[in-house]
Amino acid sequence: MQVTDTLSEGLKRGFTITIPAAELAEKRDARLKEVAANLTLPGFRPGKVPVSLARQRHGEAVRAEVLEQAVSDALRTALEERGLRPAGQPQVELVSGQEDDGKDLEFKVETEILPDITVPDLSDLSLTRLKAVASDEAIDKIVADVAKRQRTFETVEEVRPAVKGDVVCVDFLGKRDGVPFDGGTAQDVNVEIGGEGFIPGFAEQIEGMKAGEEKVITVTFPENYGAEELAGKEATFDITVKSLKKPVDAPIDDELAKQLGFETLEQLRDLVRKQIEGEYEQLSRLRIKRELLDALATKTDFQAPQGMVEAEFQQIWQRVEADRKDGQLDDEDKGKDEETLRSDYRKIAERRVKLGLLLAEIGRKNAITVTQDELGRAMRAEAMRYQGQEKEVFTFFQNNPQAIESLRGPIFENKVVDYLIELAKVEDKEVTPEELSDIPPADI
Amino acid sequence: MTNILALRKKAERLSREAMYDIVRAPLITEKATALSEKNQVVFKVAISATKPEIKVAVETLFGVKVVGVNTLVQKGKTKRFKGRMGQRSDIKKAFVQLAEGQSIDLTAKLA
Repeated sequence: MQVTDTLSEGLKRGFTITIPAAELAEKRDARLKEVAANLTLPGFRPGKVPVSLARQRHGEAVRAEVLEQAVSDALRTALEERGLRPAGQPQVELVSGQEDDGKDLEFKVETEILPDITVPDLSDLSLTRLKAVASDEAIDKIVADVAKRQRTFETVEEVRPAVKGDVVCVDFLGKRDGVPFDGGTAQDVNVEIGGEGFIPGFAEQIEGMKAGEEKVITVTFPENYGAEELAGKEATFDITVKSLKKPVDAPIDDELAKQLGFETLEQLRDLVRKQIEGEYEQLSRLRIKRELLDALATKTDFQAPQGMVEAEFQQIWQRVEADRKDGQLDDEDKGKDEETLRSDYRKIAERRVKLGLLLAEIGRKNAITVTQDELGRAMRAEAMRYQGQEKEVFTFFQNNPQAIESLRGPIFENKVVDYLIELAKVEDKEVTPEELSDIPPADI
Repeated sequence: MTNILALRKKAERLSREAMYDIVRAPLITEKATALSEKNQVVFKVAISATKPEIKVAVETLFGVKVVGVNTLVQKGKTKRFKGRMGQRSDIKKAFVQLAEGQSIDLTAKLA
């Protein structure tokens, strides 16, 4: 194998690699022998097929296979010898030797290499961890919501017209053309004023009636009513209001907590607080990660490989294009023309690639790895998202190792970020919840 | 009794088309490959083909010198199909001894 450097410019590298035809032929014959040993042909006992016959049948395929193997092997050794790490897939172009004409195999390689990433000094990194405390008002609001869902109804003693939100207990007698019809009569039915009634206009006409009052109302059954002979028809109902009930929110006390399976009101509030604070914590983590990445971005002084930036940009651009088609572009982006958009997103792509490379490098230098345990946890978390199909998700992961690999990336990133946050000087700062969720426009 | 001289004479007059009918296909088996060391080639031939005919056909079609021809008829097996007896066709094989230094490339297509 002979390697000549042809290009060394920025991050781009190019070589020409030559492999002697004899070397190739040797490899091919060895491979043919293996193929022949596993071939079954009529007229031959298994494994007794002569190599010449195997060549006649599979010569071309074996040659292509050996060629491919030789190219990738040579490429790897060439890169290793030079201590280069390619960014993305190198471009290979065969010059000669692809035909079986006894010529030496010669091919050109062009690739971009990963830049030398010097991990910037991180000791002076200082970050702010925003902290918000769940205010009593916020907790009160959620508890009040809970109480509302637990409301009860109590009978109104005084005689007053029914208003929205009341539940009215009525007897009714339904008639069509003055004749009572089947299923149109009932007693002691609870009708909620302002709620979803069974016939439109039914509940509305009861509104304003008092207990003991009687009234005849006229309604039209909807076209898609369940009983066919009534659909779209008009009918009258003789209504007798028996009593009125009004909703009462459950009082916020230990009793309410007990109904929900807690021992005291304090416990219920505690749980609510924990939930709110969990949300705050997630937001806070998002913020500190952003700050960290921003800080890192200013410290990256290496060049990003154009190939990787291009790939990243294409991915982003595809999404933007799709969004634009659906007419749901970010408000911010709406005013910009294609040119500005493109250059904006290209910058974002470059920043992402740089940060990705830097994080990977930091992780590598500090021996941060993703353990099987963590992968397993991520897998379970993923499975939880598909309620009732957990088993299928697991089988999917078992059958698709590359899908598991795709889980690895985010975990790795988070671990590196955790590591960096640990390393940095972190200052705690109290903020209000509003400030916490007010995230400046972002590109991460 | 068949006159060998008459058969040889008849073989001389074979047309090219007839020759293609005589030599049907090469027989490629373990045994046939092994025989190539002794410079022998094996063909499936028409059941009615005679040794002189095979010799002339192989010499003309492949452009080689044939020293000798041995033939055998492999009888078709009797097979049962849905309870009825059936008969597979017989096959005549010809073992052709080529003159020293001559060879036939069986993988190439016939001209």
